Amino acid sequence: MNNKYSHINFPKGKTRKSFVLIVVLFFLTLTINAQEKKIVTGTVLDETGITLAGATILESKTINGTTTNFDGKFELEVAVGGTLEISYIGYTSQQIQITANTNAPLTITLKEDAFALDAVKIVSVGYGTMKKSDLTGAISTVSSKELVQGTITSTEQVLQGKVAGLVVTQDTGDPSSGSSLRLRGGTSLTASNNPLIVVDGVSGVDINVVQPADIESVDVLKDASATAIYGSRGANGVIIITTKSKKKGLSFNYNGFTGISQASNHLDMLSANQWRGYVRDNNLTDAIDFGADTDWQSELERNMASTQSHVINMASGTETGGLRASISYLNKEGIIKTTGMERLNASLNTHQYILDKAIKFDAGLFANIDKWHPLDYRIFERAFNLNPTIPVYDADGNFTEVGGTLYENPVEILTNRNADSKRNRLLGYFKTEANFLNDFQAILNLSVEHNANTGNTYKPTYAVMEGRSENGYGQKTYGEYTTMQLEAYLNYNKEFGKSTLNAMAGYSYLNNIYEGFGAQRSGFVTDLFEYNNLGAGQNYRLGDVYSYKGKSNLVSLFARANYAYDSRYMFTATIRKDGSSRFGENNKWGIFPSGSVAWNVTGEDFMQASEDWLTSLKLRASYGVTGNQDGIGEYKSLSILGVGGDSYYDPATDSWSLAYSPAQNPNPDLKWESTTQVNIGLDFSLFNRISGSLDWYNKKTEDLLYTYEVPQPPYLVGTILANVGELTNQGLELTLNANIIQNDNFNWDTNFTFAKNTQEIVKLSNQIYETDVIYSGSLHGLSGMSNQFSQVIKEGYPVGTFWGYESSGLDENGEFILSDEKTAIGNVQPDFTIGFGMNFTYNNFDFGFTSYGSFGQDVLNATNMMLYDPNRLPAYNVPDAYLDSGINSAPTFSSYWIEDASFFRLQTVTLGYTIPFKNSTSKIRFYVLGENLAVFTNYEGVDPEVNLTGLDNPGIDRFNNYPRPTTVSLGLNLSLGY
Amino acid sequence: MKIKNITLIVCTALSIFACTNLEEELFDKVKDEDFGKTPKEIEALAGGAYSSLRGFQDDISNAFPASEYVFFLNEVVSDEANIPTRGTDWYDGGQYQNAQRHTWTPDNGMILSAWRYCYAGIAKINSIIYQIDQSGLTEDAKKPIFAELKSVRAYYYYMLLDLFGNVPIVTDFEDLGLPANSSRKEVYDFVESELTEALPYLRADIAYSKFTKNVAYALLARLYLNSEAFIGQPRWQDCIDMCQNISGYALEPDYFANFATQNENSTEIILAIPYDNDAGTIGNYMSSMSYHYLQRFAVSPTGDYPWSANGMCAQPGVYSDFDDLDRRKASMLAGEQINLSTGSVIIMDSGQPLNYTEDISNFEDAKQNEGVRLNKYQINAGDQWERDNDFVLIRYAEILMMQAECYVRLGSPDLARPFLDQINTRAGMTTPSTIDLAYLDKELLREFIFEGHRRTDNIRFGTFFQPWWEKGPTEAYRAIFPIPTTVLSANTNLTQNPGYPN
Repeated sequence: MNNKYSHINFPKGKTRKSFVLIVVLFFLTLTINAQEKKIVTGTVLDETGITLAGATILESKTINGTTTNFDGKFELEVAVGGTLEISYIGYTSQQIQITANTNAPLTITLKEDAFALDAVKIVSVGYGTMKKSDLTGAISTVSSKELVQGTITSTEQVLQGKVAGLVVTQDTGDPSSGSSLRLRGGTSLTASNNPLIVVDGVSGVDINVVQPADIESVDVLKDASATAIYGSRGANGVIIITTKSKKKGLSFNYNGFTGISQASNHLDMLSANQWRGYVRDNNLTDAIDFGADTDWQSELERNMASTQSHVINMASGTETGGLRASISYLNKEGIIKTTGMERLNASLNTHQYILDKAIKFDAGLFANIDKWHPLDYRIFERAFNLNPTIPVYDADGNFTEVGGTLYENPVEILTNRNADSKRNRLLGYFKTEANFLNDFQAILNLSVEHNANTGNTYKPTYAVMEGRSENGYGQKTYGEYTTMQLEAYLNYNKEFGKSTLNAMAGYSYLNNIYEGFGAQRSGFVTDLFEYNNLGAGQNYRLGDVYSYKGKSNLVSLFARANYAYDSRYMFTATIRKDGSSRFGENNKWGIFPSGSVAWNVTGEDFMQASEDWLTSLKLRASYGVTGNQDGIGEYKSLSILGVGGDSYYDPATDSWSLAYSPAQNPNPDLKWESTTQVNIGLDFSLFNRISGSLDWYNKKTEDLLYTYEVPQPPYLVGTILANVGELTNQGLELTLNANIIQNDNFNWDTNFTFAKNTQEIVKLSNQIYETDVIYSGSLHGLSGMSNQFSQVIKEGYPVGTFWGYESSGLDENGEFILSDEKTAIGNVQPDFTIGFGMNFTYNNFDFGFTSYGSFGQDVLNATNMMLYDPNRLPAYNVPDAYLDSGINSAPTFSSYWIEDASFFRLQTVTLGYTIPFKNSTSKIRFYVLGENLAVFTNYEGVDPEVNLTGLDNPGIDRFNNYPRPTTVSLGLNLSLGY
Repeated sequence: MKIKNITLIVCTALSIFACTNLEEELFDKVKDEDFGKTPKEIEALAGGAYSSLRGFQDDISNAFPASEYVFFLNEVVSDEANIPTRGTDWYDGGQYQNAQRHTWTPDNGMILSAWRYCYAGIAKINSIIYQIDQSGLTEDAKKPIFAELKSVRAYYYYMLLDLFGNVPIVTDFEDLGLPANSSRKEVYDFVESELTEALPYLRADIAYSKFTKNVAYALLARLYLNSEAFIGQPRWQDCIDMCQNISGYALEPDYFANFATQNENSTEIILAIPYDNDAGTIGNYMSSMSYHYLQRFAVSPTGDYPWSANGMCAQPGVYSDFDDLDRRKASMLAGEQINLSTGSVIIMDSGQPLNYTEDISNFEDAKQNEGVRLNKYQINAGDQWERDNDFVLIRYAEILMMQAECYVRLGSPDLARPFLDQINTRAGMTTPSTIDLAYLDKELLREFIFEGHRRTDNIRFGTFFQPWWEKGPTEAYRAIFPIPTTVLSANTNLTQNPGYPN
């Protein structure tokens, strides 16, 4: 019998253990032992100090034993000189010698056995959980211990490098900027490519409503068999977050750290003295030396940005319920003055059983407030442009006013504008679970998510650009959305013989309402009010006040069946039917099916020979269809009129009135993007030390949404949102975890992820819409590049293909040598990405690092393209390296400026020391955490990790160089438990 | 089957949650079928035809007739203006260089913007006509509204006739077929018949900015004036006849009153696109497309004037062609610019003084201060980015000049003299003893400089095809522009204009 893979659920497991106990006691009474004996008592705990109920205590080489009670305590009469063996499923067993001196109660802390645990690990699969060993789909699980630590302001970052195929990008060092997630390549041109986020069963929520400290585990659903249960929202994968809850005991936890940050890199521009040297050497008599020595980049920065974070939580749990409350505060200053992020967060999690566990109530509440000062990103280009001899302040102490369009004083812009933003997030749910007729479980989950954003801006009358010309400008905006969801589903579990059947069917209703308003005025007599008294602004323009509101519904029916035979052959089938109010009237409902099979090869008799080294091997295959409906906003299929600031003059009354004009081309056929995915994978573990997964997938996305150019007329407006194109993603993913050394005082774990994705646009036209090529990667806004594009979306190429002249260097005059025809000169898609981390513990010390890398992606270094310009000196600054570049030609977009931006980043390094308490459920840990300590790259710009998403500027480094910080923090972790 | 049963039970149980109601509920927008029921709503719909004249900006083009691409296109292919490249500035893929040198290609962004400007207006008016047709108004009540709407549409078709020639004619909102080209002659006939049929129903009074009888006469006069260039049939007398139908206007004694911030009071403007910053109008910032970045200090001692982009200027030779006594020479700004706070010449970042020169040393790499600037519309310290000056489309001076030209072309220069005398007197000049086409050509430039007329005039006088400053001779097929690349690729029923690559 191979117990490891048998299906154990909670009530049954308890029965089985009681049975073991009875048997043990029975034999115990029969044993007559002449040796000296003594009563030993003790408590069994896991590493976090939580008591383990049901752990087995066995005297070695005897049948004398017991199990721990609900509080993790045991009592056993043992022969002096004997050995106790303490074991618990999923944990490494421990042996304790009993001597005559063993008097005090024992405290035994069991360590998790990553490999044994893996098999019984419970994985969220959406509308339920499964044992990892029974999975048929491609799902990666990251536990709280494995999440990336650090001064994290966007929760996405905890997953960076942790999941093969999941790329997390925060493209600037601005703490207030969010991160983007991309799983297995993008499936959409215009819609969001972010995976669906599910928190404690509530789907489609903002991931930042949950703070890293509250996360218990993250399951990333990758293939269609796993995601199809989320139908029209599953095409980009699903990330299921399970938050912490309290099962047993009492605990109190404090985790605080304080850190300092500095910019990790700058662009080397000429200093004032270098500039003067250049002017002297080249005899530029007209050049104006303003006399100062200004490093414009440094002028924008804090010398030292500080971060502090405090997390306090307390929890208590009993057999019939539990409660966990957490409050946290994070204040992270940005490298650039005025920027940062301040977050106050609170969460509450509680569950309660009634009627002898027939019914369980589960409620959660998460809330946070973010505050930050939005940054005017124009400052970076100006900091590179300005002559280093210009002083920041003139002789009178006023900001120096500088000339042209792209050359305003960036410190003035940074200082003289007041912008404050605030965001509130709230997620609440109430879940009721009823168990009945042994095999049935009915679940009703009601939830509400409410997010609200407030924006305030004031540009005072002395602000050089807009503020001055508008005589003061104030603005307030408010926007919110509320999503209410009802989900009801029924689970059926049955074992008969060697078969296990799990069936689930349900219904979901989602209602989203968004609304907001804004007001702006200019012409202020005084700057005293800032944005707090817009009515004091005396100039009123039509369109200065606006409001909006919209609503959408999503109605779904879904079902899933899992069948396993002998834990060797597993089958899963799912189906979901989604109806959305956003879809066009001809396509209101979509159906998303999937099916998958798995074969647990090591469960077969003929595999017993290799048991020594091949601990487990499972093969998986799946096929399914999922959708993406993010690209369709509300009302996009309808023929509607709007008033978008469209006014007309009436000479009779000498007044203006608003015109009503068609807002868009109606498209009654509008629907979701449809992705068909095939996945073949295997899960394995070797020598009980190394485990891993290997997956190959092929995704084909049809009915790509894009705003296509259409002939006008007959179309009402020149573009239409329609489902036309087709693209494919194909890739390979490898995850490896190894427990290299494990003994009493030394432990060494390592993890590695690798992913490769290849994308191709297959089609952009159909019978109705014809498109040869879509130009993207706009260079608009760069001097002389209006109306210019750097990329194409073209059949046969991936999204983000750079299209331009091939450059073979410079000729003897310093002019670019360019090809005659434009061609594909690079693309922003990486060849492969990796994640790599290690953890060591030696006695009370712990050490670990995480790192990630991306290889083979091209980036257009538009910053250098514009700065390596012979027309700039002496009026405007250039990088040091320009002087040796030999370039004597105006900025021209070509392959010359496209660089391989491969990089490998050492993301975090931690060193900790733990002081154990006598009561081992409590401890104090001190740690040092370094973030972004090194990045290995040949990229010449400030940072190789640039935005790779969207069509506007993926892979284009263009003056948006908010420097990424290097941070060092000191932290204290205090846990008290009873 | 179990699952089916469960599904059924769950769905039935929860039918109270409106299981399948997927109708979209609107809050801040209105479905077109629900609008246009009251006179006020109909007015708001019809108003859209006028608001469309200001153009638009989107991801694909900058279709503003008063400041950017639609305006630029007509100017920079003519002999009165150009946009030189200054360092990197205003290179933009070479689109202004190609335009000036008459080597434009079908993917030129200005050409696309002009096309989209016209057809956006046409498509919108077609839908307005359709909606008002459904509104339940009586046929009699519809007639004047339709006449006005169709006149605005005819104005767009006139622009298309002038710019592209062989364009598709689409008038029916419900016809969803992809249209094919009509010949230039068909487009010409269409414009003529639309305006002619609208005339009886158009209002006869002077209603500023509205399409009145006078406006229709003026547009027909333009059509006949260019008839030879458009379709090879001269109709000089028809042009004169149309001009003579126009009444109620007089030249403003001050030429620049037509371009004042409050130019809606001009007695000379027959048609203008009204702008008012307070009314939220956008696309009216031509001055900022021409002046140097630092010009704001010559306007206001505190620099309280919007930034400027240092772009369009007069072609070398144009400025010196104006007599110094010609009041209209102030349509251009030349020479040193004084910083009002210091009283001395503005110094550019390069260390050179800001001195607008007529000469442009290198069209592909001009110095920041080269080229004299557009200075026709009034500017004021404290101006907002969106200016209040209305953009003039037709002035009474054009009616006078059209008649003068037709009489010269008909061989009666003496009959032209009274018209020219009015123009010249106001300009501070005198009509020369010999009135010929060469003189008229130059006089049209002087009177209408930077008003978007010059390309059409160059073509009518043939100067368009002669070598000038930055270009050699131009082939005849370039009298019309090519159909833009993306338009051709989206509509396979269209054929490219002759001479251009398909």
